Amino acid sequence: MKKIIKLIVNGEKVEAAVEPNRTLVQLLREDLGLTGTKHGCGLGDCGACTVILDGKPVNSCLVLAAQADGREVLTIEGLAENGKLHPIQQAFVDKGAIQCGFCTPGMILSAKALLDATPNPTEVEIRTAISGNLCRCTGYQKIVEAIQAAGQALAGTEVS
Amino acid sequence: MLLPKFDYHEPTTLEEALKMLSELGGNAKILAGGTDLLVRMKQKIDMPSHVISIARVPGLDAIVPRDSHGVTVGSAVTAAALSRNELIMDRFTPLALAASRLGAPMIRNRATIGGNLVNGRPAADLPPACMVLNASLKLKSAGTERDVPVVDFFRGPGETMMEPNELLISINMDTPPPWTGGAYIKLGARKTLEISMVNVAALLTLQSADGPITEARIALGAVAPTPVRAYAAEDFLIGQKPSEQLFQKAGEIGVGMCSPITDHRGTMEYRCMMIEVLTKRALMAALERARNWQP
Repeated sequence: MKKIIKLIVNGEKVEAAVEPNRTLVQLLREDLGLTGTKHGCGLGDCGACTVILDGKPVNSCLVLAAQADGREVLTIEGLAENGKLHPIQQAFVDKGAIQCGFCTPGMILSAKALLDATPNPTEVEIRTAISGNLCRCTGYQKIVEAIQAAGQALAGTEVS
Repeated sequence: MLLPKFDYHEPTTLEEALKMLSELGGNAKILAGGTDLLVRMKQKIDMPSHVISIARVPGLDAIVPRDSHGVTVGSAVTAAALSRNELIMDRFTPLALAASRLGAPMIRNRATIGGNLVNGRPAADLPPACMVLNASLKLKSAGTERDVPVVDFFRGPGETMMEPNELLISINMDTPPPWTGGAYIKLGARKTLEISMVNVAALLTLQSADGPITEARIALGAVAPTPVRAYAAEDFLIGQKPSEQLFQKAGEIGVGMCSPITDHRGTMEYRCMMIEVLTKRALMAALERARNWQP
């Protein structure tokens, strides 16, 4: 039996009727057309489906849509403002941290959660924060540099 | 990957949840963080017709200190919350460390201590920590309530002594005495997103900063059908002056208490070697913290 859920996605109110076995990643991608969040392993092992749920990064493939009732979700689509990239997105572009791009939305959201809590993270803290996001292309080095640069940009201490 | 179909329930009180469990019994599974249950359902290992979410049951997700005598951890407390809680990090260190090594950051934001315990996996992160802290588990059903020592909780891989109509409510631990230090070491092929090859929790209490050992607890995971306490190694340490050589011997005794298997993560021989090494290292780390104990 479907359940009516009300949630906030990227600042906007959303109402949907969902089957119990619908996951949050399915709701976002298939019902809301927000395909920035990717479906990877479906088992919480790759992080491609990362979204920020009530301020915390989670694997949306392991959250039932019904569990998101009454909650706030931030996806990658919610970062850019008026077409201008968020500093973390810009840093990924500038540092060459994007190859195929499949891991990128999840990486950026994990980075955002980190920088929101820890504005000046160490390299160990960065690598730990993204340790649930797998990248098959880059070898992670430029992703780490992008997050360091983004941290500096956000703190206003950017060195160009 | 698709989830099979099920009926979904969101009780808003504990009484309602326990009543549902009684009525639905073996056809229902409890959903907390979902990082084990939903994975098993997607893999068609579990196919419950009913899923009961405890997200809206109040009072299950708090860490409640009991003066300075102990702490009660609600079963729905996440691994992330445990790993960052100052009281747990300070006085119940093995649990904070084990929680910080569970899965990966996103998993830790959802996975709960209750789920990690009731799933009864031999390689789970939190059971050895709970065992060295002598945790007591509160189980409730619609008509009963009981407290079970965690050391008696596990029966075999995936098996605990919980009845199908019971819910794990909280995990109770007494604050260890002064000059106690704890440690947790997890060995795997990776540092993250990993199921343990061997994991060890240790707790040491000294008579004083330089004194002999008055209490020793060692628990090992992934090396037997359930997490186990290495009682023989513990008894060996009591009354002794701590040293690396002593801990090496304790590690050797610890191997004797284990029955690891060879599987895709590691061979029996390697696991036995690692039990010895990691027991020693965990005791060294516990000793360091015990010597630096602050009131």
